[in-house]
Amino acid sequence: MTGAVDPCSPRSFPETPMTDTLNRSSTPVPAPVRSTGASLPALVGLEMRKSLSTRSGRSLAVAAVALAPVATALSATTADAIGSAAGPIGGMGMLTALVLMSLGVLATAGEWSQRTVQTTFLLVPQRRRVLAAKAVAVASLGAVVAALSAALSAGVLAVAMHGLSWDEAPRALAVVVAAGAVFAVIGAGVGAALGNTPGALTSLYLLLLGVIPLVESLEPEIAQKINPAEAVMNLSMGHLQTTSALILSGWVVLTLAAGAVLTTRRQVA
Amino acid sequence: MITVSGLTKKYGERTVVDDVSFTLEPGTVTGFLGPNGAGKTTTMRMITGLVPATSGSALVDGRPYASLPNPGAVVGTLLDASAVHPGRSGRAHLRLLADTIGVAPHRVDQVLEQVGLTSAARRRVGGYSLGMRQRLGIAGALLADPQVLMFDEPANGLDPEGIRWMRDLLRGHAARGGTVLLSSHLLGEVEHTVDRLLVIGAGRIVADGAVAQLLGSDGAAVRAVDPAGLARSLEAAGFHVQHGDDGELVVSGTDPAQVGAVAAAGGHALIDLRPVERGLEDLFFQLTTAS
Repeated sequence: MTGAVDPCSPRSFPETPMTDTLNRSSTPVPAPVRSTGASLPALVGLEMRKSLSTRSGRSLAVAAVALAPVATALSATTADAIGSAAGPIGGMGMLTALVLMSLGVLATAGEWSQRTVQTTFLLVPQRRRVLAAKAVAVASLGAVVAALSAALSAGVLAVAMHGLSWDEAPRALAVVVAAGAVFAVIGAGVGAALGNTPGALTSLYLLLLGVIPLVESLEPEIAQKINPAEAVMNLSMGHLQTTSALILSGWVVLTLAAGAVLTTRRQVA
Repeated sequence: MITVSGLTKKYGERTVVDDVSFTLEPGTVTGFLGPNGAGKTTTMRMITGLVPATSGSALVDGRPYASLPNPGAVVGTLLDASAVHPGRSGRAHLRLLADTIGVAPHRVDQVLEQVGLTSAARRRVGGYSLGMRQRLGIAGALLADPQVLMFDEPANGLDPEGIRWMRDLLRGHAARGGTVLLSSHLLGEVEHTVDRLLVIGAGRIVADGAVAQLLGSDGAAVRAVDPAGLARSLEAAGFHVQHGDDGELVVSGTDPAQVGAVAAAGGHALIDLRPVERGLEDLFFQLTTAS
């Protein structure tokens, strides 16, 4: 995305006459400007930069990478050897995914809370396009962070625990990477729907760590059909593949749809 | 060129912007004046599509802002200078904007230089003063050297030197054929910057015209050695005379030349003779209370 390769438009108002450039040397001659809007891949790249160019975003990404390996190391010293590596990889990956959800929330709700959404929409007024770019951006970041984190966790397990079965580990690793992407997107969708960082974070964590576990204990059949964390665990263990994939898809579609509808309607005041 | 017609914004029963119409021409600086809450910001946000209009339209180069292919290349907007992430450096903020608009990265350094923020460019925006944030916002608006500049209360937080700098910037832009809309609630801030005034009160445009026309002379003030004698001559000539402080006579609906002619004809010695200028404050008060 450099000006040099893009179609350039002549400036739309009269150029400074050439004879004038000498005595106006203090005023820079402006660079050509792209005449079209930024492409979707370019917007995705920009959104990834936005997420990682703030201290809060960087801290979250680092925390998401480090949390699971550290937790794995701590539990590996105390717990007895478990049968399969897939279990701890999936469980720890779920922790990573819950942290990555915040990264998604910050990408959308953070812009409303910091009011930077004003500049974003002034430059790219197509709000759904912006949300789509944000969703792809946080999904990519989430997948990369989850992959790094899960690889480190697997390394810790390999070093600290002997006699583990690694047969199912590749599937668990793949599920953890997908979960990182899915939970980041869920965060972005809910953040876009609520437009408020503390509100979105509180609602999501209260729902996933409070309400759904409560339903789980009272009405397990209902909870099993909606709990995204359980879906991730089941997928990583190779259980209920179709149902679990549907549950996660449902969460992604519903939160993004709510985000798209409410973001489009909300006024930037 | 920006064409606004019948722009209206209602929140329930409350009408915040009421049937506002105007056209902004290239080569002019238009001052958008009105007290806080008069509807300036809402109007500018409707023009840029940030707030949907209840009715009416706003067109930039003949199309709604949101359907411009690359709006940042056409309109440079400064609405809320504090709407910048405090955790990014000024430079990082501008780099993101430059890449979104599609201008070369070296423009970032140029505009930073232009607004005088080069030395603060690597600092986090959270540590900037209000004036520095205004400058950063102006830098962002200038990145693509757009045809239209639209600034909402840009003088907020600027020191007198900064206000003069901005005046030169906006006058220069208009002189090169650019279009400028500049809002303010402080009339003195824009008086010497703008060619044309657009006065808004309670959501309605109450005056729209050249500065000279709206602020034209509204009479003459004269002091004479013999005030009573001059007053008699002026009244005999059909003028309405008010007695001011210190023997000053205020003659409404005329100019100093006519008063001088009456004085010369009557042989009155004058101490002082000058036009009474209608202040912006007076004009504003008169317009907004009348509506």
